[in-house]
Amino acid sequence: MQLFMTIPINIKRSALFAGLAVLLLGTGCKKFLDVNQDPNNLSNAQPAQQLPTVQAGIGVVVGDDLYPFGNIWSQYFTQSAIASQYKTIDQYLQTNNDFNYMWGHIYQTALVNDQLMIANTIGNPGLIQYQAIGYVLKAYTLQLATDAFGDVPSTEALQGSVNKNPAYDAQQIVYDSIFNYIEKAKSLMNPADPSAPGSDDLIFNGDMASWIAFANTLELRAYLRLSQVDPATAEAGVKALYATNPTFLTADAEMTYTSTGGNQNPFYIKAVSLGKAVNLAASSTVVTQFERNSDPRQWALFEKVKATDDTITDLVQGTYAQNTNKVTSKPSPLVGGDPQNAASALAPVILIGAAESKFLQAEAVARGWVTGSASSLFTAGINASFATDGIPDSAANYISNAPDAVFPASQADQIKAIITQKYYAMCGSQGFEAWTEWRRTGYPTFLVLSAANGGRGVPLRFLYPQSELTGNLKYPGTVPETTPVWWDK
Amino acid sequence: MRRKLLLLVSSMAFLFAIANAQTPPIKGTVKNEKGNPVPAATIKIKGTNTGTQTDDAGNFTLTVAPGRTLSVSAVGYGTSDVKAQDNLQITLKEKSSDLTEVVVTANSIKREQRSLGYSATTIKASELTQGQSPSALTSLSGRVAGLNVTSSTGAPGGSTRVVLRGGSSITGNNQALLVVDGIPYANNDNFGGPNNLSAVNFGNRGNDLNPDDIASVTVLTGPAGAALYGSRASNGALIITTKSGSSGRKAEITFNTQNTFSSVLKIPDFQNEYGIGYYDGVNSDGTLHYNTQDWGDNFSWGAPFTGQVLPWGQTIDGKQLTKPYSALKNNVRDFFSTGFTTANNISISSGNDRSSYYLGLNSLNSNGIYPTDVDTYNRYGVRFNGKANLGNNFYSAVTFNYIHIHSNQIGGGQGGGSALINLYQTPRDIPIDKMGDLNNKYYGYGYTDNSGVYHGDKYGFYNQFAPSPWFLIKNYKNYDDVDRITGGITLGYKPVSWLDVQERVTEDYFTDRRRLLTPKYNFAPADDGTNGNPPAYSSGNIVTSNGGYEEDVYNVGEMNHDLTITAKHDLGNDFTGSLMVGNNVRLNNNNFTQTSTNQSSGLVVPDWYNFGNSNGPVLAKNTRQVQRRVAVYAGLDLSWKQMLYLGATARNDWSSTLPVNANSFFYPSVNAAWIFTELLKGSGIDNILNYGKLRANWSRVGNDAGPYLLNTTYGQTSIAGGFAGGNTIFPFNGVPGLAINNLLGDPTIKPEITTSEEIGMELGFLNNRLSFSANVYKERHKNLIVQSNVAPASGYTFATVNAGVEENKGVELSLRGTPVKTQHFGLELFATYTKNNNKIISLPNHAQIVIGGFNGMAIVAQEGKPLGEFYAVDNQTENGHTVVSSKDGMPVPTTSAVYLGSYQPKWQGSFGGTLSYNNSWSLAFLFTTKQGGVYFSQTKGISDFVGTAAETGGVRDPQIWANSVINTGTATQPVYQPNTTAKYIKQDYFTGILPAGQNIIDGSFVKLSSLELDYQLPANTLGKTPFGRASIGLYGNNLFIWTPKANKYVDPEMNSSGSGNEQGFDFVAQPSVRNYGVNVKVTF
Repeated sequence: MQLFMTIPINIKRSALFAGLAVLLLGTGCKKFLDVNQDPNNLSNAQPAQQLPTVQAGIGVVVGDDLYPFGNIWSQYFTQSAIASQYKTIDQYLQTNNDFNYMWGHIYQTALVNDQLMIANTIGNPGLIQYQAIGYVLKAYTLQLATDAFGDVPSTEALQGSVNKNPAYDAQQIVYDSIFNYIEKAKSLMNPADPSAPGSDDLIFNGDMASWIAFANTLELRAYLRLSQVDPATAEAGVKALYATNPTFLTADAEMTYTSTGGNQNPFYIKAVSLGKAVNLAASSTVVTQFERNSDPRQWALFEKVKATDDTITDLVQGTYAQNTNKVTSKPSPLVGGDPQNAASALAPVILIGAAESKFLQAEAVARGWVTGSASSLFTAGINASFATDGIPDSAANYISNAPDAVFPASQADQIKAIITQKYYAMCGSQGFEAWTEWRRTGYPTFLVLSAANGGRGVPLRFLYPQSELTGNLKYPGTVPETTPVWWDK
Repeated sequence: MRRKLLLLVSSMAFLFAIANAQTPPIKGTVKNEKGNPVPAATIKIKGTNTGTQTDDAGNFTLTVAPGRTLSVSAVGYGTSDVKAQDNLQITLKEKSSDLTEVVVTANSIKREQRSLGYSATTIKASELTQGQSPSALTSLSGRVAGLNVTSSTGAPGGSTRVVLRGGSSITGNNQALLVVDGIPYANNDNFGGPNNLSAVNFGNRGNDLNPDDIASVTVLTGPAGAALYGSRASNGALIITTKSGSSGRKAEITFNTQNTFSSVLKIPDFQNEYGIGYYDGVNSDGTLHYNTQDWGDNFSWGAPFTGQVLPWGQTIDGKQLTKPYSALKNNVRDFFSTGFTTANNISISSGNDRSSYYLGLNSLNSNGIYPTDVDTYNRYGVRFNGKANLGNNFYSAVTFNYIHIHSNQIGGGQGGGSALINLYQTPRDIPIDKMGDLNNKYYGYGYTDNSGVYHGDKYGFYNQFAPSPWFLIKNYKNYDDVDRITGGITLGYKPVSWLDVQERVTEDYFTDRRRLLTPKYNFAPADDGTNGNPPAYSSGNIVTSNGGYEEDVYNVGEMNHDLTITAKHDLGNDFTGSLMVGNNVRLNNNNFTQTSTNQSSGLVVPDWYNFGNSNGPVLAKNTRQVQRRVAVYAGLDLSWKQMLYLGATARNDWSSTLPVNANSFFYPSVNAAWIFTELLKGSGIDNILNYGKLRANWSRVGNDAGPYLLNTTYGQTSIAGGFAGGNTIFPFNGVPGLAINNLLGDPTIKPEITTSEEIGMELGFLNNRLSFSANVYKERHKNLIVQSNVAPASGYTFATVNAGVEENKGVELSLRGTPVKTQHFGLELFATYTKNNNKIISLPNHAQIVIGGFNGMAIVAQEGKPLGEFYAVDNQTENGHTVVSSKDGMPVPTTSAVYLGSYQPKWQGSFGGTLSYNNSWSLAFLFTTKQGGVYFSQTKGISDFVGTAAETGGVRDPQIWANSVINTGTATQPVYQPNTTAKYIKQDYFTGILPAGQNIIDGSFVKLSSLELDYQLPANTLGKTPFGRASIGLYGNNLFIWTPKANKYVDPEMNSSGSGNEQGFDFVAQPSVRNYGVNVKVTF
């Protein structure tokens, strides 16, 4: 730029102007102006850095966004009397704004990075297992989205600048795509592929056999979800799945966390940032059943108010206002529910539980769609649940004595028993899935109307987020929370 | 940077070493018609650039050959030409208006006001310092039509937003460009804290300017006047000129001290009928039954006051305190103390006919309105301005300014350290103003009991939702240290009288270091439970924080080089013309480093604020931004017979932030002025209408994008849990993660284009005793570069796009008159009126663009509405009647959000004046008003929620909502009937369903912006003192506010987002203050 300071002053004005312009257009100037490469961010990412992002995103959705809704509407927990964070959930009082973060984590953290990871693997045989995991995680996340919200953007979603206003797909279409993605994933999965991910796979550490079991279990879950709305498709799907001699999950598919700041259980991180207020209390809905069955899992899942207590101190669902200052049992660190106990940081987020896997298989048999022993799968589910809750040795006594551990004779009773046991197994850890299965089957039958309902109906779906309402020209309009989703017949 | 500084300092030394006299100088005095000296008058040798200024006694010295013509002028006076001789006595005629004065326009070019084809208003130092506002920007309020100043606190270091003609951008900067002595002056908005809901106001950098250093401010309202500044001119410009040296007989030393007291201007109206507690049931007679024993709550929804002496608070060591159960009307206001600010300036100016300098030293030390010495703001500055003629037709000027600021700002909103939100949540019977002793076991945090045992983990007062504000202000700190250097060197060469070649290099650089201290603590209630079982305080009611320490360091620099060549020529008898060509190179370098202890786990050891004390990995992020621009420009000015003026500019920019092959953009402007009264000279009409001018202009200005907006990029994965925080952060147990950033780039981004048309008129009557000026304008901004929100289902949050068209249309009027002008008395009055209609004309492919707000309320840009429209759910109404539910009598919310008005005022105005007596007494006042805007008040929201706000008082038992109707039809075919049965309960409404739309209220106001009474000591009493002049003044600014009945809350100018585009957003923003004090000014 030195040139500008030494321009002779005696040349004619017009020439000067032109001269300056020529100087500026020269190559030196072009180089001088070529400084718009962002030095702070990267223009590309590798699948090994994208996969953990997707998985952590799913961990936040399941372990934090869905956690209070699922666990309160399943009536494992209720709003405690000494705080107020989740009052509106017990009041069945939703607003579009309550779902901005949940939707954002689904689409803008999990799904979009998953989509970009899949795109990164195209044409690279060394990354094919990443692609496979990408598809199955896409199926898993889309199912969360559609089970929560009903019709959601799928075919037009995640295209960035190409489509800033993606249209919403009917839930049936979304389910079709879920099955497609699972099939696609399974066709690519190969436990012998040496280029499978390693520690960057936060769920299975690159064990593709586990991923195959995950995909099969997810497919079974998804087909069974259609049992009421389209039993023929559900049955055909389950039969086709079993025809492949599938493996199913035998251990919890979960995200694990540590006590390192920022790497803890996401619900616990949130609770700490909310000042460690104790917002959740044991709900009498589930505690009553645990007591009726002398179920020792209640001691693993909830904390006694005093060490000498012989019962869990619960609240009737939604009665925080009538029990001012009542100190109640908190969810235990096992399910990440005690913000004042640092052990909550270590609670895993279960994506599909081992017990759930058994109960899904039991239901498929009980419906007569496939062969097997529903009774032993039912018992195996209970055993898996006790193992997850850290008390495997207590299962046998429970199975022998608890009224709800009896496997009944009729198909209808069997399904009721299976879903009810699945409900116990999911207490505090898979609240959203338990609530979703309640929507599908109506089991368990002992859920009550929250005392804080204020005349509002029981929610059967989430509201679309405000961010879509204001940001998407193809927003389909808010569907009331009391309208059931498509598969909920 | 260091090298640049060195260069600056050494050239300064060089310039002043060479000033030496050759021929004996002449001396002279400049006085006005009353015989009083005229300070700072300019004396110039005609046809040259050589000249000097008078000192405070009106004296000057100048080396000039006798017989040459001197041109003498001063702000507020006409110009007088005299022949040079020694002991000159020059009398300048006073003007009652500034219509023909010299103004400083773009690129520091001095022009006669009459020759300008666009609106340019100059404000003198005396007007700027009237009321002694600590901010030069704030003191512009009401002085110029078309200027919208929003001052959020009125305290030193607070935010001030200056927008001319409604602004030009949706998501980008809308503030006027600041130029100080030719140096573009950074005016970054400096909000700190995690987000706008828990903001820490570190002010904006434009307020670094010391008002006492300023000689004048010229406001170029529209882009036409500022076109030479290029891209940034679309928002108009404030051309600030600081004081320069005078070359009198002796050096002049001026000392000025201002001592200001501050108090809270406006706090919400509170109810004074009900105390702590809440209703917990309905009695059989239909009245409410109250719980009044829950001392761990922050609700003021309890039983009506009785005046009875009752126990209250926790039971500690077996005892509760007692007090009358009655309202404490001023418990919130009395929490605050009187702030005190002392500002001291000393300046030396001196020089001779060859060179002159001004040296100003200033300090400002403020202790704000929070009790104890916690909210402090200290500013120190030094300014050096020098000019020298170097001989050989070379001339030079140097300007240099250094500023240091050290402050501690109290956090606001719902941040952990926000004392304010907790004050507003204090029940009406709690003596919060007297609970400052944190060692008192009933009020304290960590107290010592009767036996001398320290209970470091116990608290005596309050609860997890509203901890003691005393504890918060003592322990949460937001320190800020700023060092700023601004400097420039001008070198000029005038080989012949008609040619001027000028090179100017300037730098504006600051470093802003913030240290945010969050204490670590964990307190449980001290309540020993002897008062009941369970105890009055739940053991779960803990007050806890993991603590944290954060350092944010901003290094921001801009360098400008301008080479201009100006040629002037007389073309025949009546024609004069000048042509200027120039080249600008602008470099912006910004670096930002943010480092904090682990956000989830905080500190290990309490009270130790060091990254080594982080519980878990330290989080660090750095951002570097480089922007470069090159421009060539030209300006042509022609005049004919001092009557017709024509101006034109053209500029081409090349910017690094645009696509490489499309980074060039060109834009021209033209303006014309016609002094039609030249035709009336001698007609007799000119005795009445002595000055009349019509002007018109058309201009176009381009603007480039911010850096790095062309591509979509990846960053380290960090997943925000929610509004309250709680982030999942990578590396995740050692595994790295990358995530796509949520902003989509646009590789085809084009520059924004502003097109502006303006016509104006200036009239002067009765020798300018009365003057009037009017502008009508229309500005269109197209290809707006916007960070627009996209559907989250697209995978992203924002996209950089060229979107939409925004328009400003408006009228600006100003009137100034001198109704009284006698030997002893003078009265000058002025008024301004501004009406700007801002509208988003089109916004294709967007539902709307969100520019601010939070859950439940958005501030948006929406097609067909003005920028800054509020969008929120409100109570449903039918023909003015509130629709309520037949079930519980509560208002029914609208099914979706509705538009509730914009923060932009419909019109604004001012009225001011000065009454003077005997040239020794003067009384000046200024009222300002803005009408028709709305603002959102979370102060209302929170004080409604907890039942402290005035409207939560009155009847609280179940009642029918006044004038409500019920829908007896269906949702699709409603039938509305008057409601005579369904009763609602106030507490349920305000704590449950109060929609955000109800917190959007009329933001109109009238303010007494400034008032000042000055006494100038007569010269004869100073004769035997060392003082040349002395004056004493009483002043006040932001003194009183009048608001509509609907606004029972706060000053609507307060803002939780500083000077950004998110305005009208009181998310429990810091209260604005009234200031009043005394100043003394003496010269030696």
